[in-house]
Amino acid sequence: MIVAALLAGIVALNVAVLRLNMRVDQLDNQRDELVTKRENIQSQLSATAAAGRIEELATKALHLGVPASTTYLELKHRRP
Amino acid sequence: MTARVANRRIRLLIALFAAVFAVALLRAGWLQAVRAQALGNMATSQHRETIEVPPHRGTIYDRLGVELAVGSRATTVYANPRQIRDPRAAAMAVEQTLGLNADKVYALLADRSRGFVYIERQADSGLAQALQDKHIQGLGFYDEERRDYPQKRIGASVLGYAGVDNKGLAGLELELDKTLTGTQGEKTIVKDPFGRTLQVVDSKPGSDGKNVYLTLDHSIQGQVERVLAETRERWMAKSASAIVMDPRTGGILAMANDPGYDSNKFSQVPQDRQRNRAVTDTYEPGSTFKIVTISGALESGIVTPSTKFTLPYEIQVADRKIHDAEPRGTQTMTTDQILSRSSNVGVVTIAQEVGEAGINDWIHRFGFGRPTGIDYPGESKGIVLPPEKWSGSTIGNVPIGQGIAVTPVQMIAAYGAIANRGVMIEPHLVERIGNGEAPQPVRRRVVTTKTADEVRHMLREVVEEGSGTAAQVPGYRIAGKTGTAAKPDGTGGYSTSAYVASFVGFVPAKHPRLVILVTVDEPRGAIWGGVVAAPAFAQIANFALQYLEIPPD
Repeated sequence: MIVAALLAGIVALNVAVLRLNMRVDQLDNQRDELVTKRENIQSQLSATAAAGRIEELATKALHLGVPASTTYLELKHRRP
Repeated sequence: MTARVANRRIRLLIALFAAVFAVALLRAGWLQAVRAQALGNMATSQHRETIEVPPHRGTIYDRLGVELAVGSRATTVYANPRQIRDPRAAAMAVEQTLGLNADKVYALLADRSRGFVYIERQADSGLAQALQDKHIQGLGFYDEERRDYPQKRIGASVLGYAGVDNKGLAGLELELDKTLTGTQGEKTIVKDPFGRTLQVVDSKPGSDGKNVYLTLDHSIQGQVERVLAETRERWMAKSASAIVMDPRTGGILAMANDPGYDSNKFSQVPQDRQRNRAVTDTYEPGSTFKIVTISGALESGIVTPSTKFTLPYEIQVADRKIHDAEPRGTQTMTTDQILSRSSNVGVVTIAQEVGEAGINDWIHRFGFGRPTGIDYPGESKGIVLPPEKWSGSTIGNVPIGQGIAVTPVQMIAAYGAIANRGVMIEPHLVERIGNGEAPQPVRRRVVTTKTADEVRHMLREVVEEGSGTAAQVPGYRIAGKTGTAAKPDGTGGYSTSAYVASFVGFVPAKHPRLVILVTVDEPRGAIWGGVVAAPAFAQIANFALQYLEIPPD
């Protein structure tokens, strides 16, 4: 009886290990899919944030102008 | 039936069963003893598999962390034509999902002489999944990493590209291929009949490629490319190049060539257009080269900025006549004025004082005739005539930038030395690799601070009063030099219609933060550096100064 119980326990343990391995494999696959999605989103983000694209949208779609010049004001420190 | 007959039949039956059992026993023994190894190996091969874990290629970022080259997962679709039941239906399904031409796909699938054909390498994963969901027998799928260039055209000739096998084939992708490529990993798994992993028996970890951070700024790069495209179109030029560099560090903020191309479509672009002309191509620099003679003469103490020369319009040097660009009478000019007015006669006169050996020495001290060491493949060292091949008239050519060929990156490094108070810093594109520290670029003093300051003052006058007024940026003092050089005509002489117009300068003039060079190859309508290239310099400088919030001196 004791031997039978021990054998059953060993079998159950092995089955549990196999199930965990399969779960790990599933999680590995999920991680790979998420990494893929993240990389694709990162790539899309870079393309969307491209300076050239934004400038084209600003000038052609929003009709904004490129600044012709910049004026710098030098402020002197005023003692209180 | 007698008992004897029944017993005989029973004994016969028992013998028969015993014989069958003996055969079965022998068979079992044979399988377990003789065939055990082979059958065990077969079983292992069916439920064990060694999988290669490909490394992820490192990302290339600009100086602000914006992705310029990034790996993304894609799916390669292949087929075994011998397993395709209905090639036409399969081709239609491929057209509907992947958008490929059905006729071309059908031609591949109908060819039963082949057991493997690619339908599409590195297809979009979502589209490939849609095709996979149709469960068409004979089609196979596996994941690959595809190299994407999200900024498309920006920095294309600098970045280069990686091919379908994710190996660098050109540009920085090639130069840094070992750094960007990691090491492959491996794992051995035990799988069930459905292919699910039951156990990882062994694994060899790999490592992903390292990320690379460049000195390029994608905004400045994009702006430079836009200005070059407009300039080339305006002057119907063959090509144009530009470099923007920080003279304090040697870091290249932008390096552009026009016409350019989209890195994602490199296979459709002729090789000629893919070249990074700023590094690989040479040109005769013309008047921009005059700083070498002037700097050398000042540094050697042969002249001072106020040394006076009486200069005719034209002088004879061996068998050649050298004259200034604009006809004039004999004039007295100081060294200062010779450079700011770009007098060919004045520079050649000073060069004769320095001597052939001295000029040759200064050419090499300013880095011409050898690669700058920039971290980019295929750098040209330019063409510098060795001293033993100088003829009597060479002293009349080389000091004014003819009879010598330089690359744009060599030229900007030379002007960078003047801007950086006499210290030349090796130009570079890579800021750092991974989380490592930025390597210190090579620094070398070319001239003293005094000489650099004197030359800088002269170059300011070029822009304020001389041929470079079109390079002015409101509110800023700029120092620079125009160049207009006839191109060799291939018969030993110079063309009268093909020129290279250039402008190189730095801003703000007193404490330079940017050195910018623009070259325009074979402009039409005008040939002068001050007319063609100087305005492009001004546009680039105007943008970069505002973008980087650099105040005037």
